[in-house]
Amino acid sequence: MSYKQSTPSLNDEEPIRGRGRGCRFCLDEAIKIDYKDVSLLRQFVTDRGKLVPRRMTNTCQTHQKAMVTAINRARMIALMPFTVVAQ
Amino acid sequence: MLEARPPASRDIPGRKRHYETVYILRPDIPDDAVVAINAKIRKIIEENQGIILKLENWGKRRMAYMVKKQRKGTYLFWSYLGGAGLVEEIERNLKLSDPVIRFYTIKQAENVDPKAHEASFNDEVFSAAGTGGVEEVEPVESHDDRREDYDGDNVVLNDIPGTDRGEDN
Repeated sequence: MSYKQSTPSLNDEEPIRGRGRGCRFCLDEAIKIDYKDVSLLRQFVTDRGKLVPRRMTNTCQTHQKAMVTAINRARMIALMPFTVVAQ
Repeated sequence: MLEARPPASRDIPGRKRHYETVYILRPDIPDDAVVAINAKIRKIIEENQGIILKLENWGKRRMAYMVKKQRKGTYLFWSYLGGAGLVEEIERNLKLSDPVIRFYTIKQAENVDPKAHEASFNDEVFSAAGTGGVEEVEPVESHDDRREDYDGDNVVLNDIPGTDRGEDN
């Protein structure tokens, strides 16, 4: 079970990533995916503004689809970037 | 009033759709111009049997990218119930308004019972949304910004030379 050893410790500062944990939104139904909640959506894109794959965040398919919709909506109203160009 | 537009076949009579509209205004316009646009949208919703649930002014925010050569914009958020054709009319009016640089409407739900929603909208909320645009709200940009709110450690960190990481980007 090598994947369990590679699980990073839970840390409040870090976005929850890595294998071994279930989908955040299935575990805690109080978290609503909303296109206005930029601080939540930011954890599901890279520094370059690209979408983080499902395998990295352990999000289930249902919630990943909802997340992508929310991120695309946030991009439309300029709350989130489409791309971040290197300085 | 709108010309009567037939409801969709899936619409249940007596129920309404729940919409959310966000529009961004140019940052350099005065407060009364903000109020004028809000009043126009309010009139359209109320004349077409819509129910306003929420109106918020998110203030002048830095946008994630430039829109119509502007870096900042005043965000207005509306949440309302309405029927067929209402969004078309609102968006037509926003398109004709010069200070509006971006608008976006989403449908949150269909066949919502209007009685089930408690509307907190009144004249007070309306006037508050007109003046909220003056405050400069900087969005939380990075992890470093969050550190600033964190009291204890921050004071010590700033005293040590060389630990100040300065502005991000």
